[in-house]
Parts: sequence; structure tokens; C-alpha cells
Amino acid sequence: MAVLPFYGTGAVFFAVLAVLLFRVAGELTGHHFNPHLLALVHTAALGWGTMVIFGAAYQLLPVICERDLYSVPFAVASYVMLTLGTLLLAWSFWVFEVGALMIIGGSLVVSAALLYTINTSATAALHQHSSVQRAFMVSSALWLLITTIIGLLLAINLRVTFIPRNHLDMLKLHAHAGLAGWFLQLISGVSTKLVPMFLLGKSKREWLLYVALILQNAGLILFLSDGYFNPVTSKMLTYAGIVALGTFAWLIYLADAYRNRLRRKVELLMKHAAVSFACLVVGFVLLPVAYFVADTRWTSLYGTFLFLGWITAIILGKTFKTLPFIVWSNHYRHLTGKVNVPLPKQLYSERLTVYQFYVYLAAFVLLVAGMVTNCTALIRVALIAWIILAALYVVNVAKTIFHKPMMTDGNKTQ
Amino acid sequence: MEIKLNDPFAAELLKAQTALMQVIDPELYVNIIDLGLVYGVDFSDAARVKVTMTLSTPGCPMGEAITNGVENILGVVFPKREIEVEVVWEPRWNYHMITDAGKAQMGLE
Repeated sequence: MAVLPFYGTGAVFFAVLAVLLFRVAGELTGHHFNPHLLALVHTAALGWGTMVIFGAAYQLLPVICERDLYSVPFAVASYVMLTLGTLLLAWSFWVFEVGALMIIGGSLVVSAALLYTINTSATAALHQHSSVQRAFMVSSALWLLITTIIGLLLAINLRVTFIPRNHLDMLKLHAHAGLAGWFLQLISGVSTKLVPMFLLGKSKREWLLYVALILQNAGLILFLSDGYFNPVTSKMLTYAGIVALGTFAWLIYLADAYRNRLRRKVELLMKHAAVSFACLVVGFVLLPVAYFVADTRWTSLYGTFLFLGWITAIILGKTFKTLPFIVWSNHYRHLTGKVNVPLPKQLYSERLTVYQFYVYLAAFVLLVAGMVTNCTALIRVALIAWIILAALYVVNVAKTIFHKPMMTDGNKTQ
Repeated sequence: MEIKLNDPFAAELLKAQTALMQVIDPELYVNIIDLGLVYGVDFSDAARVKVTMTLSTPGCPMGEAITNGVENILGVVFPKREIEVEVVWEPRWNYHMITDAGKAQMGLE
């Protein structure tokens, strides 16, 4: 039950994100150091991405680590702190009130990340066999903690300057610790467990995952250590290349599991994952473009492909591959074999997930087209589609979370 | 789960197998017999039924629902016996343990 609030709150933040995007449609292709864009990015990264991922991770950690979660109270506390911290941060960025509110928000987010890291590490540590998925889970948690600490220091630095480096360069380190450390490594670890499980596929090339783990971490550590002491220059794209190779190794593993799958028909929800990985590849291609081309819209496109493409697509798909099972298990795990109970897939609307997939594709393509052409009217049309998408998602998540226990003959259980 | 006709408990085993076919893996939508999750059912102790089974993956979030289902359904079929479910990890379950009927239900090749 502890994980349901993460999904519900994540869905609400996604809806808020869609509405805020619409409100600032004209600013989306401008410079990224803009109060509204900072508020949007933190709503997307913390309220949407991290919120849902925390919920899913607390459910999946026991599967990956083959033991119970280390601490449920820690998970609950991390929810409260992440929610309050995100609200304070997003608000203080939106109105650009640099000071106590922003620092308190940042501190709450750091506390949530610390609790998550302790929970993840302690759950993984007590297992006798090592596994690359567990290593990804722990390394991603550590990167989340590092990212949030850098973010908090940057928030303090806005108020009292003490970091002897260019703030915008520091912002790049903060953002990429989050993207290549937290999101990339978490998704790498979880997907290599879930995708083969859902497709009934397997790959014997597990060494690729160790290569991925090493390269993703090596590239990021090199970038952060060089970037802290030196100005961010084009040579640092080499480090992005190392991370890209690590990402490539992970994707080859997934492609191998896909080729060797028993389930030939790929469900629609799994197609979200394919779109997500394609957006990540485009993100890597856009990185040098964003660096070398002065036009700010390429940086915005880079962020769009990562946050609204890669991270959003995987969450939209995986929500309905995890949440219904969690709710079903809460209601029916003691009733199986006693009475007829519905199947997990009957807890949400499959039809809405079909609409969700196609509205998402349309919304994303229109948004990218609007940003490439710098056409605000097209961006606004796209963002209306994003609001419709968020509404579809929220309705389906709510339908699942608030499912009333029913037997198949329609009688309510006690 | 194989049943030999010369097994002294063949009738009980058949009843157990039929009952266990009503326990569905909520993730794969196939019954646990056709999934090959049940390794054996032991009736040698007159007071109980011991089921030796596995799950598709250790730490499976649906594991408790499945083992509860086994206990519940066998408790109905054999009300005078105590039901014991032992989950084992050797041999490790793999896709080749799914019966042809199970593969057909899952739309596998």
C-alpha cells in the first residue's frame, strides 16, 4: 500500500506539468536558465519522473533483490519529503524567490533521496549473490543523492555565492548527474529485469550489462571531475561518448532479449518502451548539436527528448505493467482459490491505454515540430494534446488506485 | 507434474491437479499446472497434502497470491487434510517447463 501514493501523486504532477507547459508555451525554446523552465524541469524530474520511479522501485526492489524491502517507514517518509520538497522547489523557481523556501525544498528532496538510498542499499546489501541489476539500483540511488546535494548547494549558491565556478556550468553537472546517473542507470537496471520478464525473452550476453554499468559510470565521473575544475568545453563530449557506448551496450542486451523472446506479439504497453529508447538515442545525437549550435531551441529539444520522450514514454507504459498488479495484490492475494476474482488487467481501462499511446505520439511529434520550426501556435496545439494525454493517464491511474474489490459475479467483498 | 496410473495416490493426484488448474498466475494469465510451477504433490502423510512448487522468479510480487490460491483451493478439495506449500528454487523454473497447452494459452510460438 505504501507505493500507491507515489503513483497517484506522480500522475497529478504530470497533469500539473502539462498545464504549466501550456502556460509558458512561448518560452519553451528560450534559454534554459529561466525561472519558469527551471520550475518545469524540476516538476518533470522530481514530481513526475522520480515520484513514479520511487513507487515502482519500492515494489521492484524486493523482486530484484529477492527479499523484503529494508524499511517501509523510510519509503513513506521519502514520499512525504519528496512531495513537499518538489512543491516548494517548483513554486520558488516559478516565482524565482531565491532563499529559504528554495533551500528548504532542496533539503527535503535531499532527505528523500537519502532515505531512498539507504533503503535501496540496505535491501540490496543483505543478498548473498551479486547481480548487475542490483548494482545498477544502488549506483543510480547514489547518483540521485549526489544530484540532489549538488542541486541544494546550487540553490544556496544563488542566495549566498560560495561556489568558485560559473553557475551555468555547475547546472550542467547537476543536470547530467541526474540524467546519466539517476535516470539512465535506474532505467538500465530495472528494464533488464522487466523487459525480458514481460516478453518472456532472455539474453546470454549479461557481460554487456557489466560493460554498460562501467562505461555509464566512467563517462559520468570523468565529466563531473573534469567539469568541476575546468570550463565545460567540446572535449567533454568525449565523456558523453563513453556514456553513449555504455547505453549502446545496454540497448544491445535488450535487443538480444527481444530477438530471443517467446512472446511474439508485443503488447502496446511494451511499445512505449521502444519509443522511449528511441528518444534516448535521439537525445544523444542532439547533445553535440545543442553544444555547437548557439540557438537555444536545440538545448530545449535535447531536454524535451529526454524528459518528455525517454522518461515520460517509459513511465506511461510501465505504469500499467506494475500499478494494477500492486492494487490487485492488495485486494485479492488472500482470496485466490476461494472466490472468482478479476484479473489485474481488468483493474484499468485497456482502451484508455490505446488512446494514451496514440495521443502521446501525436503530442510529442507536434511539440517537436513546433520547437524545430519555432512556431508557438503549433507548440500550443501540441500542448493541448499533452493536457489531453495527462487527463487520460490520470483517469486511468485513478481508476486503478480506487478500484473497489469485486468478485466476478459483481458482488462486493467484505 | 506427472501422474503415473500405477501411483497409489493417482486418484488424489488427479483431483489435486484438476483443482490446481484453477489457480491462475495473475501476471501470465495461465494456470500454474500448465506453467509448470508445480513440481509435486505428496499424499503419503494421511493428515496432510504437501505441495512442492516454485515461482517464475524469486521475490515474485504475485507469489503470495499464488501460494494462497494453492492452499485455499486444496483446502476445499481435501478438507480433512492440512495443506502445506513448500516453495523451492531448484530446479529453477524456465520457459521450457510450460506445457504445450500453456504455450497455446499465452500465444507463444
